[in-house]
Amino acid sequence: MQQLPLGVRLRDRALFASYFPGPNSEALAHLEAVAGGTRAGTTWLCGAAGTGKTHLLQAACARAGESAHAGYFPLGDNVRLGVAALEGWERLDCVCLDDLDAIVGRQDWELQVFALYREAEERGARLVVAATAPPALLEWSVRDLGSRFAAGTILQLCELGEAGQEEALRWRARARGLELPHETVRYLQRRFPRDMHTLYRLLDTLDDAALAAQRRLTVPFIRSVLADWR
Amino acid sequence: MQAGLWGHCLRALEEELPEQQFNTWVRPLQAVEGGGALRLLAPNRFVVDWVNGHLLDRIGELLRRDIDGVEPPIITVEVGSRQPAAAGAGSPPAATGRPRRAEGLVVGARLNPDFTFDTFVEGKSNQLAKAAALQVGENPGRAYNPLFIYGGVGLGKTHLMHAIGHMIQARNPDARIAYVHSERFVSDMVKALQHNTMNEFKTAYRSLDALLIDDIQFFARKDRSQEEFFHTFNALLEGQQQVILTCDRYPKEVGGLEERLTSRFGWGLTVAIEPPELETCVAILMSKAQATGVEFPEEVAFFVARRIRSNVRELEGALRRIIANARFTGRAISVEFAKEALKDLLSLQAKLVTVENIQKTVADYYKVRMADLLSKRRSRSIARPRQVAMALAKELTSHSLPEIGDAFGGRDHTTVLHACKRIKDLRDTEQRMQEDYSNLLRTLTG
Repeated sequence: MQQLPLGVRLRDRALFASYFPGPNSEALAHLEAVAGGTRAGTTWLCGAAGTGKTHLLQAACARAGESAHAGYFPLGDNVRLGVAALEGWERLDCVCLDDLDAIVGRQDWELQVFALYREAEERGARLVVAATAPPALLEWSVRDLGSRFAAGTILQLCELGEAGQEEALRWRARARGLELPHETVRYLQRRFPRDMHTLYRLLDTLDDAALAAQRRLTVPFIRSVLADWR
Repeated sequence: MQAGLWGHCLRALEEELPEQQFNTWVRPLQAVEGGGALRLLAPNRFVVDWVNGHLLDRIGELLRRDIDGVEPPIITVEVGSRQPAAAGAGSPPAATGRPRRAEGLVVGARLNPDFTFDTFVEGKSNQLAKAAALQVGENPGRAYNPLFIYGGVGLGKTHLMHAIGHMIQARNPDARIAYVHSERFVSDMVKALQHNTMNEFKTAYRSLDALLIDDIQFFARKDRSQEEFFHTFNALLEGQQQVILTCDRYPKEVGGLEERLTSRFGWGLTVAIEPPELETCVAILMSKAQATGVEFPEEVAFFVARRIRSNVRELEGALRRIIANARFTGRAISVEFAKEALKDLLSLQAKLVTVENIQKTVADYYKVRMADLLSKRRSRSIARPRQVAMALAKELTSHSLPEIGDAFGGRDHTTVLHACKRIKDLRDTEQRMQEDYSNLLRTLTG
């Protein structure tokens, strides 16, 4: 009989402590300072998908929320709501805006973010945004907004290489009490898309399966578990 | 941050909800507890709707669990905030550049304490604007009224405007000064219309001693706001109260602005701020670095300024990057260090400005064909734009002279060198050439 995992797996909360710093330790330290209130101004995080922008934004929001009025707003998911969805956010002490690419080039949204930016600046509030590219490379409709962001702190998140990915996976696995052998990681890297989103999702699947089957994460075991994985 | 009943409830919700939902819809809520009620204040109606639709029952359950047997509070969710809005209610008039209150309405934001004449780095590109600004600061309402400052983004228009405000305030602590972004003027006016408080709005603006209004291009196509601004503007000018305006371009070039406004903007003095030349960029970097107390060698400032020429804000961003990196790693700042710290930024700049891009921009600007620019034709109408393009390629890209020569139809590197010298001489002697070059520089790097 198979044991069901029953959702007992610990959730990987997007906190600073659960972010694998690797080559991005400076960005991590900067955001910890911003979220803790010891550094102010605007921070622009950029990097390819899977570099951990959303994780860091949510971690910053959670940390800032311990002592201040904070919020996280994913623009990509909420563009359909219209610009009024951002109204009132200028009253927060720490605003984290994700997927800025989704609104760049749309004048109405840029003006709304511009208003938020100016209010944040006037009140000394913290603004942390994430996009795939630095502000200078985006096609702004309100160029003033792009240039203001360019004056803030811009942090480029680096993608992890093969060795870095392995380290990150094993680090997260260890946090869950799992041992992830080197050959298992190599198997995952060779046979599945090598981005951190996919690799972490694979780890979730393997974690559940290992718990249900009470097995270690050997290559034969994960091969059988992931035979139909998509 | 949140204590009491709501604090318990919040911790439970944080465990139950996906964190994105929690951070977007729940964390921005503020609670007011008391009198048998729990009022949840949300930034806007979307958050109110979401909480009402997804969470209200669950919050009720959690509260009942926590208070066990006692009558649970009545929960309401509404738009609002425990804090005063940014430039809204609150601060009474103070001696130094605070928002001004007149007839119950606060107008404008506080003056930025960093934006003074002392911190403004002067160069050829902005000296005329600074001189005019000083005159206005010394004789508000009399020297030049209005003072209209225009130029590309991030060149220091707002800085000068605030500096004037500080000077007026220092000379007359009772002066009522308001710095208002034009977009804020529009939204304040919309609110005044909604709340039927237009009279207060008018009185507040018209009783100022100096109105500093930034980025008037945002008035474009907002007819009602232009109408109101027109009357405010006239009232202030008639009362010899100073008006200072900034815009990202020459007033008549702003589409969607009424003729009567643009012509009045020209009644006083209109001055331009150009992109800073290399030496000014270096001076700006050194000055900003000094303000942060960091040892920043001049050679590093030259290195950064040569590569990032678009505007002061990007220079500031680059400086911030280098300083942050130096503090994090504990290393001293050198050219090598700056190269490493800025490698992403610099590679992006290089991608942005290519020789081909320059050729195309110059061809468009002078209305010549690309093919002619790359041809052997030597007529003045073609040769001059070609020389400008070569000089820009030398300045904005890291290509060598032979590489630039190759890109212009296989010309010798000495031809490129000659073009660079020629254009430098012409910029020093001909106003027109200086303007053309600055415009192109702004287009390519802005």
